[in-house]
Amino acid sequence: MDNLYLVARIADTRVALRSRAINSVVTVATPVEVPGAPPHVVGLFALRSRVFTLIDPHVVVGLPPVPVAAGQRVIVVDVAEHGYALLADEIEDVCFIEAAETRIAGKLMPGWARVADAMIEHQGASLLVVDPAHFVTIPVVNAA
Amino acid sequence: MDDLLNDFLAETAELLAEAGATIVAWEADPTDRERLDAIFRLVHTIKGSSGFLALPRVTALSHAAEEALDDVRRGKRTADSALVTAVLSILDRLSFVCDALGKDANEPAGDDGDVIDALAQVETEADAVAEPEPETEPEPESEPEPEAENREIRTRRDDDLQTDMQGWRSIRVPLPLLDSVMTGVTDIVLARNEFARMLRESGANPAVIGSFDRLSDSIATMRQSVSQMRMQRIDKLFAPLPRIVRDLAQDLGKKVKFVTSGGEVELDREMMENIRDPLIHMVRNAIDHGIETLDDRVAAGKDVTATISVTARQSGNQIEIMIADDGRGLSPDALVAKAIGARVLSAAEARALSPKEKLELIFRPGFSTASQVTSISGRGVGMDIVRANLEKIGGVVELRNEEGRGLTVVLRVPMTLTIISGLMVRAAGQYFAIPRGAVREILLETSDSVRIEKLGGGEIVSVRGEQFPLLRLEDVLGRHRDDGDDADDRALVLIRPGQDQSYALSVAAIHDHEELVIKPAAPMIMATGLYAGTTLPDNGRPVLLLDVQGILAVSAIDASEAGRAHRQAEEADAALAATRDATQLLLFRDIGGRTRGVRLSVIERVEEVPALALFESAGAIRAQIGDDMFAVHAARLPEGHGTVKLLRLHDGQSVLCYPIEAVIDIVHLPDVVEPSATEGLIAGVVLIGGDPVEIIDPYWLMEQHARGPIHAAPRAPLCRLTDDHDGWGANFLAPILRNAGYRIAAGADDDEAPDVLLCLSGDESACDHGTDAVPVIRLRATAAAAGPDDETVYRYDRHALLEALSRRVGGGRA
Repeated sequence: MDNLYLVARIADTRVALRSRAINSVVTVATPVEVPGAPPHVVGLFALRSRVFTLIDPHVVVGLPPVPVAAGQRVIVVDVAEHGYALLADEIEDVCFIEAAETRIAGKLMPGWARVADAMIEHQGASLLVVDPAHFVTIPVVNAA
Repeated sequence: MDDLLNDFLAETAELLAEAGATIVAWEADPTDRERLDAIFRLVHTIKGSSGFLALPRVTALSHAAEEALDDVRRGKRTADSALVTAVLSILDRLSFVCDALGKDANEPAGDDGDVIDALAQVETEADAVAEPEPETEPEPESEPEPEAENREIRTRRDDDLQTDMQGWRSIRVPLPLLDSVMTGVTDIVLARNEFARMLRESGANPAVIGSFDRLSDSIATMRQSVSQMRMQRIDKLFAPLPRIVRDLAQDLGKKVKFVTSGGEVELDREMMENIRDPLIHMVRNAIDHGIETLDDRVAAGKDVTATISVTARQSGNQIEIMIADDGRGLSPDALVAKAIGARVLSAAEARALSPKEKLELIFRPGFSTASQVTSISGRGVGMDIVRANLEKIGGVVELRNEEGRGLTVVLRVPMTLTIISGLMVRAAGQYFAIPRGAVREILLETSDSVRIEKLGGGEIVSVRGEQFPLLRLEDVLGRHRDDGDDADDRALVLIRPGQDQSYALSVAAIHDHEELVIKPAAPMIMATGLYAGTTLPDNGRPVLLLDVQGILAVSAIDASEAGRAHRQAEEADAALAATRDATQLLLFRDIGGRTRGVRLSVIERVEEVPALALFESAGAIRAQIGDDMFAVHAARLPEGHGTVKLLRLHDGQSVLCYPIEAVIDIVHLPDVVEPSATEGLIAGVVLIGGDPVEIIDPYWLMEQHARGPIHAAPRAPLCRLTDDHDGWGANFLAPILRNAGYRIAAGADDDEAPDVLLCLSGDESACDHGTDAVPVIRLRATAAAAGPDDETVYRYDRHALLEALSRRVGGGRA
């Protein structure tokens, strides 16, 4: 189980998410906005009588926000007993990656540097390994 | 094995919490056999379970306590405070070990020789004085529960511990299971609503809809039961208090009697967690700061033993918890001095404070009790935190201070945290919920009684002369108004977030009321200070619950009512309210399904009672509401076991309940009322929105029920008719008099002394009964009086006759 990853494109970047951190992947309808909330909070949506907070990873890493399309897929995670979902640009695959996680070589954008834990090699490409909880708990990078 | 251990830990923690109180009560009265037995059973149970689970430390500890207590039971030892202290330290050690067990599932290494020896040492000292009592040896009354049996759901009689607790049985259910049941029910409700919508759209046949309605009803009942499952007796909160009081009083060398009442009041589990710390803090404060030292108490002429009482009661939609002490109370001047010292207040500000505001200083952040910190109350919980904690759950804190004689702190919390009645409003194109409990009034902005003024960039609103700061919800949320909003729909919600605070919140439209299941929102959303939680109403779209207190803080306005210009306006207010009420009509659907209306001003409130609260007695239907009984205007008892809505009509003296099916609306009473031809329930018909609506005649209704007074009426005055030769008195006069509240006696066949004599013959000599003590009214047959001195009354002058009667009797209901 430990090397099972969800490969997805979030915030315009291909990443690998450790599967044990992930609850499920679902599609959402238009979320309910939360006026006054931090910019990375897209809104709220309900899933089986639970209310989830939808997070836009673009904003977390310092990119401009993207609109939510109806039926867009989101990655549902639980952080500190609250339900969140990360907007995904694209869900690619769930797969076992045999390669080991390695230290990040090279310089990342400041936003990414704060959410990425490691790198991993998959099908000839390097993916960032990110902990979805970081998108929730880390303060948003101030848009310059 | 893990399950067994978890069960053991949960049960032990609960037993230990409850045991503290029992032990303290036992110490107060060591001869109290029941308590001793209860504590003995407790340690015996713990010992039994721990042996099974192989927990040597727990076993050794409980064994030592069991031994000592058994000696007391057998009369080999006497219970003194040293023994109690030793037993308490054993229990403390047990909780410590169990806490550690809960964390890493292993019994921590450690030596308990100290506490066990302490107990033994007491024993040897006590041996010298102990006098064996010739009592029969009691066997342990309860065996430890069979361990190997079903441990998933264990039944435990609550009276195992305290025999005086009532005998209901309870079972232990894991909280996640309970939560999943609740979630399940909520899902069912959502699915039902979806299904209902589809049914309506598909135009299904009535039989299908009928059976769906039955399903729907049982789902509603189930939802109710499930929410009751979350409730817990407030006893649980009180249980650790006696122990805290005892320890603290002993540390400080004070004598304190601690009493609790109202432990049967039920509260939501989550709510309990929220008031646990504030409550403990208040009690600690009372002992530490409120209660004087023994010397001071004597000097003040008070009983050396102080009393602290904690009382819970349910009042309406709230739970009230009162923590009262008979200590020195708060001194407003000392508080001011301290506040100035702590730099939370300037001397100039201090002079402007009213005595009440001075007391409220203790709620200011930074006003810590630090200058007198002892190890006891210096726990970092200030009164400001207490207040903030309570306000977070929609509660309020109130102080009732009697300087020199004691302080009472009243905590008021809404009855449930999870399910509240919410008002749905719209702003910036989306819906928000406002806790109904904080809403004082709702008005349309276009209403005549509302005047909105712009003032230095801000806005204030005067409602019938009373001024409120005005906040527009869109501005608060930093949004723009939605273009689709109709300006006529804009409404003002007058909000009272806390005591003596109010403001007006302007919203784009009022939607409706709903019972809402509130859950906390994600931390980053709560951190905005604008929201108190999220809820999922029946349509399945999440809605944010506004934090009515937080909005104030975010908008940085002073919503305090003090010093606002509304006093001089109160008269205008009352006058306006009177005219407004007089012309407002409550529209409702009565039991027969007809739409009817009644003037709003005669309605005291709308009550929802279980159908079983209605009963028939002496040919009349009555309702029991709380401790009172009220007449109900109904021909027969309602069918079924659901609830019945009752309009409570109030005429200033008595109350009459009128059963209805549902409230529809409140509308203005049109000027044109078509009066009905005959006197009766219906006073007339009006057209409202093009439909005829029957208007109830409250006068007639009250009249129907006024003759069967349920509350003992004052004795009706007795009126004796004399010289009623032709029966005119009995046939014509008596009914009128009875209606006016007199009892009638004819002739001299009654022994009771009358309050007034009615002489039906104008002839002076005719009724010369010689009793001057009884006033006499003579009736004459002619309309014209015989002369200016004629005191007789014309017999068809109803008004004069009744007036004369009431004057003579000095009462009656004429």
